[in-house]
Amino acid sequence: MHHKLVRAHSRVHGWRHIFSEELLAMLLVVFIFASPVAAATRFQDRGLIMQSATPGATTAYTLKFGYVTPAAVGSVDMLFCDDPIPYNPCVAPAGLDVSNAVLSNQSGETGFSIATKTPNHIVLSRAPTPIFSSASSYTLSNVVNPTQTEKAFSVRLRSHASTDATGPQINFGSVRAQVTTDITLETQVPPMLVFCVAGEVEDNCEDTSGINYSDMGQLSSQSTLQAQSQMAVGTNASGGFAITANGDPLSAGTNVIDAPTTPTLSQPGTNQFGINLVANNAPSVGNDPEGMWQNAIPSPDYGIPNQFKYVPGDVVAFSPDVSLMKKFTVSYIVNSSENLRAGVYTTTITYIASGRF
Amino acid sequence: MVMAAFVVMVGLAYMLPARPAEAASSASLSIVPKKNYVIEPGESVNDKLTIRNLDPVQPLELNLRIIDFTFTDDGGTPKLMLAQDAPQTTWSLKPFMKVPESVTIPPNSSKTLDMSVEIPANHGAGSYYSAILYSSGPPGEGGNVGLSASGVTLVFTSIPGQVNENLVIEKFGAYTKATANKKAGYVFMTADEPQLLAYTLKNNGNVTEAPVGSITLKDLFGKERTITDINPNGSLALIGQSRTFTSCIEVESANVDFNGASSPTKSCKSPGLWPGYYTATLEAYYGQNGNRTQELVKTANFWYLPWWFVIAFIIALAIASYYVWKIVHAIRRKFGIQSKRTPRRK
Repeated sequence: MHHKLVRAHSRVHGWRHIFSEELLAMLLVVFIFASPVAAATRFQDRGLIMQSATPGATTAYTLKFGYVTPAAVGSVDMLFCDDPIPYNPCVAPAGLDVSNAVLSNQSGETGFSIATKTPNHIVLSRAPTPIFSSASSYTLSNVVNPTQTEKAFSVRLRSHASTDATGPQINFGSVRAQVTTDITLETQVPPMLVFCVAGEVEDNCEDTSGINYSDMGQLSSQSTLQAQSQMAVGTNASGGFAITANGDPLSAGTNVIDAPTTPTLSQPGTNQFGINLVANNAPSVGNDPEGMWQNAIPSPDYGIPNQFKYVPGDVVAFSPDVSLMKKFTVSYIVNSSENLRAGVYTTTITYIASGRF
Repeated sequence: MVMAAFVVMVGLAYMLPARPAEAASSASLSIVPKKNYVIEPGESVNDKLTIRNLDPVQPLELNLRIIDFTFTDDGGTPKLMLAQDAPQTTWSLKPFMKVPESVTIPPNSSKTLDMSVEIPANHGAGSYYSAILYSSGPPGEGGNVGLSASGVTLVFTSIPGQVNENLVIEKFGAYTKATANKKAGYVFMTADEPQLLAYTLKNNGNVTEAPVGSITLKDLFGKERTITDINPNGSLALIGQSRTFTSCIEVESANVDFNGASSPTKSCKSPGLWPGYYTATLEAYYGQNGNRTQELVKTANFWYLPWWFVIAFIIALAIASYYVWKIVHAIRRKFGIQSKRTPRRK
């Protein structure tokens, strides 16, 4: 044991110039003091309660937050912006007005009154006093709500030692809220999802061939049966759309022609049912998507030429955001082995178009 | 004899048309993709569903059904629970929602249906969601593959009050969009100019969440640019979902005409990034009205190294190395320094 200690000492002894007392002291300062100060400057348990969330309504806001630093506080700055980030430029929420606000209630750290107010800015002031109660709340009455329901707004909070919200900040943090309405305003363009499926469709879905089935002919182990159908889709919803393919693979009674679960080449002589949404040359069937909107695309597994797959419920095409009308051609292939049981093999594929969340 | 009968049967089966053809319902419709409501316990909302039949010839026969859904992956695609015996989810709106069972819409016209959502008194706060499935009539008889079109309206309802909110950052960084033959994903080093930054949040709470905030992108020389809207589409993280939210580094906004109405669109455009190392900082906020506002902060890095830059860098490095070698060689010659090479053993 003694030998081990001597050996360890001899090793560490050489490092004594690197880990000097000064360096260790500096590290202590950094880890013990610097980190907690940075983390502790935010108010804790922040929240905003709106008495009414109706756009444009005159209502009361209760701001709740906990002071963290026990230093004397003389003012609290409340800046109403679209963006909660303290150092970003502040854009006032459309329609919001706090210029007639009244401080109707306060709890926790009290003694404040409104020193200054503009349509999106309020400064609460009091004689500088050290913090004794952490959790505090301030109710501002006669506040006019923002009018935009589609985005949240924020209140950027800062506490200062001065009585006019100038000089260094002590604590900071933001709260967020959103006005909501039960029913979409009639004046807005309602989101729409347009969708059609048939043997052939027009880009705008206003004309279809009227045939919504595909006769693929007679099964043979020597060749691949093929068919195609079309669907057009478009939406002005910001979330985009998704189309899923639903329904079992081709079957006759209890006999099912299996479908590959990963993109696979067409292989005559095997039992295989698959689809894709692009132009193929082996076999020659299908077309690439038509339409100028690049964001509406086949799902990657259904977008590989000459490779086919079919899993019920899979998303076969989608757009992550607004997409005007786009036309997809779905190619179907069926291969059969020599020992496939006789029968009339059929299926119904239901394409379901939905919005995205 | 049995074998001969089997051959005849197979032959007949293959030669006969699959099914006789007959007229079909329209499969061309226009619906509302999403509805959002905020309803206090004990209150209800009566709303309208407008459905349009775009087919100029066939009537559109639709059956309406309320189904539950969850998430498919980390995107916004719903996973629809279509089975009649699918178990009801804990966030289902089925018990509270009413829609008509069926509707027939004449060719090239539209109909407006009544729907309602009624929340019982004393019902707990949270997010509830289900979908309305519009199934078109069966396909015409004939052929091997019948086609049918259906649409879905997603319905989200928020019941205000004290809720359990808990988002955790799983990933953050540069992101490439899905293309027809490539899946979307995060990248640490890329030769293509990144146009998107993304973050993945796991929702462990009992409400859907739509974070807000900003992302600051800084290059090697400290030049900053800020993305002020980190959730431009108001996308949601569903209960239990790990959801990836994407933001364009540079956005291009435009208005487009869709079915006679002007609609705003946003798309990514080249942000004009220089090759190099980038640091991105995410500051996201979330919290429902009346609940605690919570903050998420994360930093990520990525390299943007286009091929032209890599090749130019290697060439420049080679040239610099050559000149350094030449200078060293010249200095050695000037001062008569011999290179220290181990003499070969003879």
